[in-house]
Amino acid sequence: MVSPGSETKIDSSLAIATDALCKVYSGPFGRRKVTALNGLSIQVQQGEIYGLLGPNGAGKTTLLKLLLGIVSPTSGSASLFGKSVSLASARWGVGFLPENHRFPPFLTAMQTLVVYGRLAGLEKMTIHEKAPSLLDQVGLRQWSDARLKEFSKGMMQRLGIAQALMNNPALLFLDEPTDGVDPIGRRQIRDLLVSLKDTGMTIFLNSHLLSEVELVCTRVGILHRGKLVKTGSVDDLTRASGRYQIQIAENQKSELTELFPDLHFANRSDETWIQFEAADASELNLQIDRLRNSGIQILSIVPQVQTLESRFMEIIGDIDDSPGGIPRFEKRTEDVESTDKHSGS
Amino acid sequence: MKQFSATILLTFRELWAMRITQGIFVVTTIAWLLLTFALNLDVIEGSIAALRIFGFEATPTEAIRDAVTGEPLRDAETGNVLREALSLDQFVLGMNQMVFGASYLFGTLLGLFATMPLVNGFVEQGRIDLMLSKPVSRAKLLTGHIAGVWAIVAMLVTYLVVAIWLVISFKTRLWLPHYLRSIAIIVIMFGVMYSIVLAIGVWMRSTGLGLVTAYGCIFFSGILAAKDQIVPQLTDFTAAIFVGLYHIVPNYIEVISIVAQLGSNESVNSWYPLVSSVVFGATVYGISYVIFLRKDY
Repeated sequence: MVSPGSETKIDSSLAIATDALCKVYSGPFGRRKVTALNGLSIQVQQGEIYGLLGPNGAGKTTLLKLLLGIVSPTSGSASLFGKSVSLASARWGVGFLPENHRFPPFLTAMQTLVVYGRLAGLEKMTIHEKAPSLLDQVGLRQWSDARLKEFSKGMMQRLGIAQALMNNPALLFLDEPTDGVDPIGRRQIRDLLVSLKDTGMTIFLNSHLLSEVELVCTRVGILHRGKLVKTGSVDDLTRASGRYQIQIAENQKSELTELFPDLHFANRSDETWIQFEAADASELNLQIDRLRNSGIQILSIVPQVQTLESRFMEIIGDIDDSPGGIPRFEKRTEDVESTDKHSGS
Repeated sequence: MKQFSATILLTFRELWAMRITQGIFVVTTIAWLLLTFALNLDVIEGSIAALRIFGFEATPTEAIRDAVTGEPLRDAETGNVLREALSLDQFVLGMNQMVFGASYLFGTLLGLFATMPLVNGFVEQGRIDLMLSKPVSRAKLLTGHIAGVWAIVAMLVTYLVVAIWLVISFKTRLWLPHYLRSIAIIVIMFGVMYSIVLAIGVWMRSTGLGLVTAYGCIFFSGILAAKDQIVPQLTDFTAAIFVGLYHIVPNYIEVISIVAQLGSNESVNSWYPLVSSVVFGATVYGISYVIFLRKDY
């Protein structure tokens, strides 16, 4: 079900749970406050691939940082597998690929996995067993002894994913994982995510690439101005909202225009498709009966499914255009310091 | 422990990867090689008969003068001015004071300069967030970083001081191990000054400002060291401020005299400059921890 806004209470069986989470960034001397998250409650089940969408400055990266203990909440609570995110132990079994990560350029790919694997609490032997296969998995096996300063952005991104997978995490956070990766690499990463999902891993994905989220995620949340404005499965979000297109015979176009001046042709090249909205099945049938009774031949009826991108634009547009909404490209008065500066999202 | 050692390892690797650290090793090596080959001593019965630096004869002592006329006495056969023999102990102590005083300045100032980029790297966006996302406490991360920096500076300073001490000891055949105590003083004072760089680094992510502040404190400590001469010239109010600052700011310059006294195996007149500096350093490290534990990155 698509449901707006908040989900409720924290449950220890959930991979991620937040309750009324708020984050307000303050400038020097407490002036210039920026609300990055505003009473956010979200729940992610174990084994889900959850995609978080939102325009720049929506608070996506801030949420991710809060969940990983990188920033602390102003109010509210958050937990990973039932453990408060303020505890370092909550991050056992968690992998993370930050946006714009910067691995030390003097390390080799293998040394990077060793250092970050050790920081994740792994034994040396485990690291040396696991690292080669992970580098292989992300296509960097032959670069294992090369210094990172020789790596391209895409290679760094793939190394980042390998690093995030070192501790075989039960929960994986990915912030723009395909950023800077070429189409082939992007496809590989997408396939990797799907294969990881099959292992039962929970994945929390922040991405601007809506098509990518649509292909990979089982559930999606849309964040806007620090609030979860919509959440649901990809199917729920992209399901037809009562829009249909009906194809009629080519030779009946003029007849249709005369009989039904209220109907509109769909924006398609062959102009044999008409488009209309029906609140439910009975209204749809009424429309069909109207056409059939007038001798119009119906060749096909297609319910209109939205892409995630068009749905996303619609939701964000509706909010910004609503009374009290903020026209896009205009700065909020409290946004003296850009949220991007803090959240990077 | 695994995570702690990983932080130290990362700090070590980073410092080693930086050319400046290798540069300090090279400069140190050149310094003791020069000392090895350039300094030649002829020691006869515990006194230095001849001292040559880069092959040039040096005249280490005062001429012997006629008690009445004050004219320098000359050898009847060669006509050379007669000089008092320089005691070996005297020479070694003088040499040590000079060399190890220089080591103190070299070790702490270059140590600060060399390690400054480490704080930058440590709190760099994209790197610190990755480290903080690991199941390791912030306190442990910061402690690992500090331990790594201290350890590598201790290695640099030990290499410098021990190498020079060995050269001087071999040349003079006089082994004075008490001088090696200066290693601890140099490392401690580096640690005190590094606390400033660290605190400003974790707070403002500006290690340049941290370094300038640390060097500023060193410069200011030179002025504060002249407390006995300056305070009588001040009004009561400004004198109180001056004395207050003297007790707060690390007494970097005055600690040089402790190093010199340790080197000459004298008892140290006052440990206060070192103690007050350590208190300052401990306080600033404490502040760094508080900032690091609370800060949003």
